[in-house]
Amino acid sequence: MLKTFTEKLGQTTLRGIEELGYSLALLVESFYWLFFGFRRHQAVKLPSIFSQMMHIGIQALPIVGILAFAIGMMLAIQGIATLKTFGAESQVVLGIALSVTREFSPLIIGILVAGRSGSALAARIGTMQMAQEIDALRVIGISPVRYLVTPAMIAMLIMLPALTFFADLIALLGGGVYSSLELGMSLQAYADRTIEVLQIDDITQGLYKSLVFAVIITLVSFVNGFSVTAGAEGVGRATTRSVVLSITYIIIADMVFTFFLTH
Amino acid sequence: MMSNHHTPTDQAAIEVENLVTHYGSTRILNNIDMQVSTGEIMVIMGGSGSGKSTLLRYMLGLHEATSGSIKLLGQDITEINAEEMDELRKNMGVSFQGGALFNSMTVGENVCLPLREHTHLDENTIQIMGRMKLSVVNLGGFEDLMPAQLSGGMIKRAALARAIVMDPKLLFFDEPSAGLDPVAAAELDDLILRIRKALNTTIVVVTHDLDSTFRIADRITVLDKGDILMIGTVEEVRNSDNERIQSLLNREARHIEIDADEYIKELTGQKS
Amino acid sequence: MQKISDSPVSFEIDDEQGYLIVRFAGEIDLYGTPHAREVILNCVKSDRNTVIDLSAVTYIDSSGVASLVEGYQLAKTNQLEFGLINTSEAVMNVLQLAHLDKVFSIHASLNERLQAS
Repeated sequence: MLKTFTEKLGQTTLRGIEELGYSLALLVESFYWLFFGFRRHQAVKLPSIFSQMMHIGIQALPIVGILAFAIGMMLAIQGIATLKTFGAESQVVLGIALSVTREFSPLIIGILVAGRSGSALAARIGTMQMAQEIDALRVIGISPVRYLVTPAMIAMLIMLPALTFFADLIALLGGGVYSSLELGMSLQAYADRTIEVLQIDDITQGLYKSLVFAVIITLVSFVNGFSVTAGAEGVGRATTRSVVLSITYIIIADMVFTFFLTH
Repeated sequence: MMSNHHTPTDQAAIEVENLVTHYGSTRILNNIDMQVSTGEIMVIMGGSGSGKSTLLRYMLGLHEATSGSIKLLGQDITEINAEEMDELRKNMGVSFQGGALFNSMTVGENVCLPLREHTHLDENTIQIMGRMKLSVVNLGGFEDLMPAQLSGGMIKRAALARAIVMDPKLLFFDEPSAGLDPVAAAELDDLILRIRKALNTTIVVVTHDLDSTFRIADRITVLDKGDILMIGTVEEVRNSDNERIQSLLNREARHIEIDADEYIKELTGQKS
Repeated sequence: MQKISDSPVSFEIDDEQGYLIVRFAGEIDLYGTPHAREVILNCVKSDRNTVIDLSAVTYIDSSGVASLVEGYQLAKTNQLEFGLINTSEAVMNVLQLAHLDKVFSIHASLNERLQAS
């Protein structure tokens, strides 16, 4: 019993270290192709970046809008209810502004994109791996990293901050709408107060986080997709695993990030 | 630039020497030695688990060998750098077992992909070349369909069109007849023979299909458990008195030799 | 004979009996095709009947054949003649594989072509 448990623990640890190493190699290689691909006549193609940006970013706008608005409202409801006990309802604007830009927008966008696009990437790569399409790319002389990973990585690095900024605006609007209804302050006054309390750093902090999340989602999705071996079951498992791992790493990274930024 | 593209010579297009490979700690191939001459069709056959697909994957440069060398067109792929390998790949075409067409592209885009990636030809030239190759495999007019709309035989032929679009000097097939009805399989064999005749292509086919083997092979390499049992012409292999080869030809169930001690260790999980 | 720098193919154009004869030499492969294509299309675009002499061509790949197809198509739309002469066996094999031996008008020499018409 004990032996199998330690054995399993050992295997899991080994696999984790292996995957970490693989992820780092993938990260380095994807940027190698971006900057030096043309030297080997394998430049990264803009259309494939744009098509990834469409999938990851543009098509996510409606759901991001709904989520962000709801979160802004939720923060306002919670904030006002809590602050009421201190009779400090008007401070709700500060609470919403900081928690949205620093924390909620990047986190929610990270989780949403991991679920929406990370899973799609892992499933697509897993299916290609199974159908030997990845091997086919390699024997044609096309680096799978250059052809598949780099465009997705660049698209993620552009679209995650963009979506996060968009979510900032919508969530603040959501918070403003509820606050104005509940506290009777005008939207204009809410906006003025928000601009007054919000520092540029608060927004960039959230955007930096989203860059880290973009790298996490891309690497986790590809590592799991590339490691698919046999059967449709394999693709399903890799997809689920990549979403769960992405979200886990995002939340842990967020915590670490927040700790250092507040110290 | 090589000038004698189409003159058959005795010079080996493919030379495998002392190839040893492992999967994890398991040895898959033992000291494989084989040569394929320019313009020759070499069929690698063997039962499942014989290592024939593994040998193909190493010849394609998809894995790193434990030891030994694999020379393609005179270049040792275990030694050359990535750029040289990229250059060499332009002279190699591969038809995978399931076709491995890219599902998100049309048949025409699939076939033209190597040209778009590796050449600076005019778009018009590229399109004509793609259509020409589709016509070679009797798929003229199918370029705008998606792979999902094709039958199994058509997918294999489209994959072949993609494999030959750069006029490769080396062409590799993994189980060309797998999943095809006998008529479609015979058609594919005819295509393989026609391409070799027209372009003097060196062709390596991995298969377990005997009918197909005897139709197309110049020589046959018989693999068994990672060892070469024999390399010979169709006649030589047919007339071989090696028991294993005969059982493979007569499709008999493999006789498993049991070493009692080894077997007990294997069953009880005590690895030797 | 015009040699194009950096290209494995060279060519010579003669005006004989109402035809532009393009005599290619060398290899019409992925590297030579862009030049060969330009030469072929320019001849046809100059509104002349064109014959391509392939006797000194040691190798032609599908990209070269594709350029011949383009030349043939352009000549046909402009109602011009376009033919091949002196095609070696290797070239014929490539044409046959793509079912193009039935499409092009192929003759042993210019004289034979003139007699045939």
